[in-house]
Amino acid sequence: MLWLFSFLLLALLGAVQALSSSGSRLLVVLEELSEKDKYSQFLGDLEARGFHVRVESPKSEGVALFKHGERAYDHVLLLPGKSKGLGPALSPGNILEFMKKEGNILVTLSPDHATPTSIVSTLLELGIHLPADRNSLVIDHFNYDSASAPENHDVLLVPYPAPLRYDVRNYFMGPPDGVIAVPRAVGQTLGNDSPLLAPILRAPKTAYSYNPKDEADAVEDPFATGEQLNLVSALQAHNSARLVVLGSAEMLQNKWFGAKAELAGKPVTTANRDFVMKVSGWTFKEVGVLKVGNLQHYLDEGDVKKVINTSAFAAPEDNPTIYRIKSDVTFNVEISEWRGDHYGPFMIPQRDALQLEFSMLSPFHRIGLYPEARTHNSTIYSAHFKTPDQHGIFNFRVNYRRPFLTNVDEKRQVTVRHFAHDEWPRSFQISGAWPWISGIWVTVAGWLAFLAVWLYSAPTDKKVAVKKTQ
Amino acid sequence: MATTDDGQFLKKVSGRNTRGLLRVIILCLIAGAAVSSRLFSVIRFESIIHEFDPWFNFRATKYLVQNGFYSFWDWFDDRTWHPLGRVTGGTLYPGLMVTSGIIYHLLRFLALPVDIRNICVLLAPGFSGLTALATYLLTSEMVTSPSAGLLAAAFMGITPGYISRSVAGSYDNEAIAIFLLVFTFYLWIKAVKLGSMFWGALTALFYGYMVSAWGGYVFITNLLPLHAFVLICMGRYSPRLYVSYCSWYALGTLASMQIPFVGFLPIRSSEHMSALGVFGLLQLVGFVEWVRTQLPNKQFQTLLRALVLVVFVVALGALVLLTFSGVIAPWTGRFYSLWDTGYAKIHIPIIASVSEHQPTAWPAFFFDLNMMIWLFPAGVYMCFKTLTDEQVFIVIYAVLASYFAGVMVRLMLTLTPIVCVAAAMAFSQILDTYLDTKTPKADAKTNESPADSAKVAAAAVLPDSLRSTRTPYIGIYSYASKITVIGASAIYLLLFVLHCTWVTSNAYSSPSVVLASRLPDGSQHIIDDYREAYYWLRQNTPENAKIMSWWDYGYQIGGMADRPTLVDNNTWNNTHIATVGKAMSSREEVSYPIMRQHEVDYVLVVFGGLLRYSGDDINKFLWMVRIAEGIWPEEVKERDFFTPRGEYRVDDQATPTMRNSLMYKMSYYNYNSLFPAGQAEDRVRGAKLPAEGPQLSTVEEAFTSENWIIRIYKVKDLDNFGRDHQSAVAFDHGHKKKRASKKKGPRVLRVE
Repeated sequence: MLWLFSFLLLALLGAVQALSSSGSRLLVVLEELSEKDKYSQFLGDLEARGFHVRVESPKSEGVALFKHGERAYDHVLLLPGKSKGLGPALSPGNILEFMKKEGNILVTLSPDHATPTSIVSTLLELGIHLPADRNSLVIDHFNYDSASAPENHDVLLVPYPAPLRYDVRNYFMGPPDGVIAVPRAVGQTLGNDSPLLAPILRAPKTAYSYNPKDEADAVEDPFATGEQLNLVSALQAHNSARLVVLGSAEMLQNKWFGAKAELAGKPVTTANRDFVMKVSGWTFKEVGVLKVGNLQHYLDEGDVKKVINTSAFAAPEDNPTIYRIKSDVTFNVEISEWRGDHYGPFMIPQRDALQLEFSMLSPFHRIGLYPEARTHNSTIYSAHFKTPDQHGIFNFRVNYRRPFLTNVDEKRQVTVRHFAHDEWPRSFQISGAWPWISGIWVTVAGWLAFLAVWLYSAPTDKKVAVKKTQ
Repeated sequence: MATTDDGQFLKKVSGRNTRGLLRVIILCLIAGAAVSSRLFSVIRFESIIHEFDPWFNFRATKYLVQNGFYSFWDWFDDRTWHPLGRVTGGTLYPGLMVTSGIIYHLLRFLALPVDIRNICVLLAPGFSGLTALATYLLTSEMVTSPSAGLLAAAFMGITPGYISRSVAGSYDNEAIAIFLLVFTFYLWIKAVKLGSMFWGALTALFYGYMVSAWGGYVFITNLLPLHAFVLICMGRYSPRLYVSYCSWYALGTLASMQIPFVGFLPIRSSEHMSALGVFGLLQLVGFVEWVRTQLPNKQFQTLLRALVLVVFVVALGALVLLTFSGVIAPWTGRFYSLWDTGYAKIHIPIIASVSEHQPTAWPAFFFDLNMMIWLFPAGVYMCFKTLTDEQVFIVIYAVLASYFAGVMVRLMLTLTPIVCVAAAMAFSQILDTYLDTKTPKADAKTNESPADSAKVAAAAVLPDSLRSTRTPYIGIYSYASKITVIGASAIYLLLFVLHCTWVTSNAYSSPSVVLASRLPDGSQHIIDDYREAYYWLRQNTPENAKIMSWWDYGYQIGGMADRPTLVDNNTWNNTHIATVGKAMSSREEVSYPIMRQHEVDYVLVVFGGLLRYSGDDINKFLWMVRIAEGIWPEEVKERDFFTPRGEYRVDDQATPTMRNSLMYKMSYYNYNSLFPAGQAEDRVRGAKLPAEGPQLSTVEEAFTSENWIIRIYKVKDLDNFGRDHQSAVAFDHGHKKKRASKKKGPRVLRVE
């Protein structure tokens, strides 16, 4: 009994410590288990962050990604190995299937070994291109570590990446003087047509891809050059499953964690440990995870103006299925962001906007959602608007897709009906109708008056009456 | 009926009472026969709503019964025409539903809780009994012979032309509208005869009911003014006509404007202008008649001439002006197709695509009316002989309805009552003449009266050698001829009953939701694919799953599967239908964005290739193409669906456009698997299919019914990794993408 309790306690402790928002089971695929020591610091860091790390060789049984049709792991870290095949458990189909079930994958590459074909074709399918030559690596003659690679110039020293766009939050930021060592990296290029791809760390402008086996003195037609060459790139699928390609597996090794390096004659200490933590943390959904809480919309008209009452947020009369045209509606959505061990309020980046669409076939309204209130674990964004003068079946839609943030795509279908027969203004309320109304009543009154006169006036002369009938 | 001298009790007061009782009994029997001959479908199949439109009426009735009248009046239906919705309460004729609702509540009030479905199923037969009664009343107004009315009622009760729209389960507007049509005409005749405001008001009341029940009310709206107009032209203007017409028009127009769907049409649309014009004309004629009594003849002539000229110019000018300024709506397309049968085919394919809007084939007249079709002209001729006011009505009605019935199949329905009336008049004339057992007195000729001067004159002109002119016999003398004619008539009547029963049982009693076929041993085999599929949808899809199908099945999906549809049989939005047509007739890559935009979850197609069911979607496909082409002539072209030799093929010679269309792919997807390799055959079109079946990427098969009549496909979600569906499917089949070969052309750089 005691062991059960302690087990439960341990599990509970693990749950509390877990930093990832989507589970802590991490599979590390490593061909030579002896190489595990090289990565001990990194793996130790992961365990300290609450992951249950399981290191398996690709051919072993434990590497199966699925058990009874469900994911057996939440995250996978693929470390390079010698063999070209990864075995049946890690076929491209299985890898994509794993991601379809919202598993996250961190792929590391190395120019020492040929990249396994299943990984190459998976990446190709996702629009991430690797150099065709198996030994290609990234060279930079300006930003290299002169301590460890004075001849080959293949250990790049690069600063922390800048934000991708002005409106995107940078999860990989570091101190401005921080330097990351990227030893012997395999560069990647990203296809242009997929909006799901984003570079995390781009090569410096002076870098290029080079095959050391190449005999020629000058490189003609390199695989890619400059910032087109990515050292670390990311893909976030529609279901927010994440895949990160780390060009250099050596970055994760102990020897580059806080190593002494020399950039253009100046000694520096590499910040690899911090950067790698950030990359793995993002991949395994420790940061950049949004959650939509309550969605609420209601009629906001007349005297019964509602006040947002956060304690009784979802009262049953909310979220009606039907509205009327031209009525005032309030829409609230609660959005939280994962903060390591709990959800906290999410604030959109300074120059970004969260928008609400009210659409039927195409949006009739696209208006900003502004933070109106904040609870201890969410921000409530609100919008007030008038339903358009068009009946139909509409959707409230919040579609917020940004690089490095999980996708928010929420839709609520409502019906907007026409005016019912008793909802139009009465005729006497319309001043333009008064001539017509008075016309009607004058006619009625005139006819009644005529009748009265007709009935009560006896014919004066019978002869006249007789004449008339002829 | 024959009046004989034998029975003392058939004479005088007691005789009249007995005959009245007999007539009531006969009418009851006729009503009974009318109802029971419509029950074939219930006995053969079950108590089920038939066909397409009735399913909507049934659904609307259920809504009415559940939610009450006002909520029905303001009903916004968000489960059809997704995502536009339909203001159903304002765009339907509520008469049918309200009638059933009243019956339902009445029966509940009487502590007889009857299921609303049974009321709906049996409403049409019930009203056909009333129609027989109304026909009796109408015919009795036309002729003095009391037998004509009973014959007409009997004809009306069992004629296939009417049964076709009123079998049990055929819960359509026509079910009550024909009764209202005939009864309104009866009241009108009564009003014209009596010149009574009361009867005129009753006419208006039932006209209002008719307006609430069926769009065919326009027939009455035009027929009554035409009758009045013809009477005026014949110089038969009378205060009776004035009173009856004016009370009908004023009250009837007000009544019709209470229906939201009709609204201001009676004063704005061209179809209603004749009624308004005749109303104005009557005022003028009335005024002129009054002036005539006040003025000397000569002055009156001048005044009349000036008046006619002025009124004509003013009225015509006003009409033209109002039509051009758009105050009076121009004629609608459905109406144009009444004058020019080719009009719809060119301009409005959606109207032409409906089979009941096609011109009538001539055998249909005999099929639906049998012997009445040759008795009908005789009856009309008899009307010409006397030509009283009400018989003028018969003549006009007969001419107009014959024309319309020839133009459009469904208008056979409006022709049927008048055929029954006229045929009954002719038949009763024969019977009355030949059933008379009394032999005319032989000395009738000696008793020459001055009235017979015409015969005398004729005899003077004609030579004496002709025996018939020398001794003009009046009446039938020989029993032999009497028996021959009566016998022949009886045989015709029997044959008529036989024909009607046969047609009803074989042609008009199939619910079309359930198909029946015969097994080799002769036993009946029910093919229930429609309901199987609709119930699959009902039980296996979320309540809000949107179903895309061709509009024919919209009402059924709404009624049986209870799922929102994109288009249905209320074809109010041609563009929306064309959108569905485009999605069906385009390549998958084109269709998919359309389906995403309209939030389609499932696509339903009807395929008859396995079962030789010819009413399937591939056979209707050209209409989809044509309707889509009407809106997107650049993107969908009918020509592309025909081979260079102009053939419409589905086999391996089908055009690429045809083979890549979503409809073709969905119809034949996996069909090969039913046959040995290379022997797949489409049995309904008798075509051998290509060895390689079509491949689908944006939709996946969800359900196929037992006989493959209904196939349902689920529309895939966007690919999780942002790929297009073709490459995603190729990847799942194990075709890996090739590395981009050596760059051709300039390198494409990525920009953030």
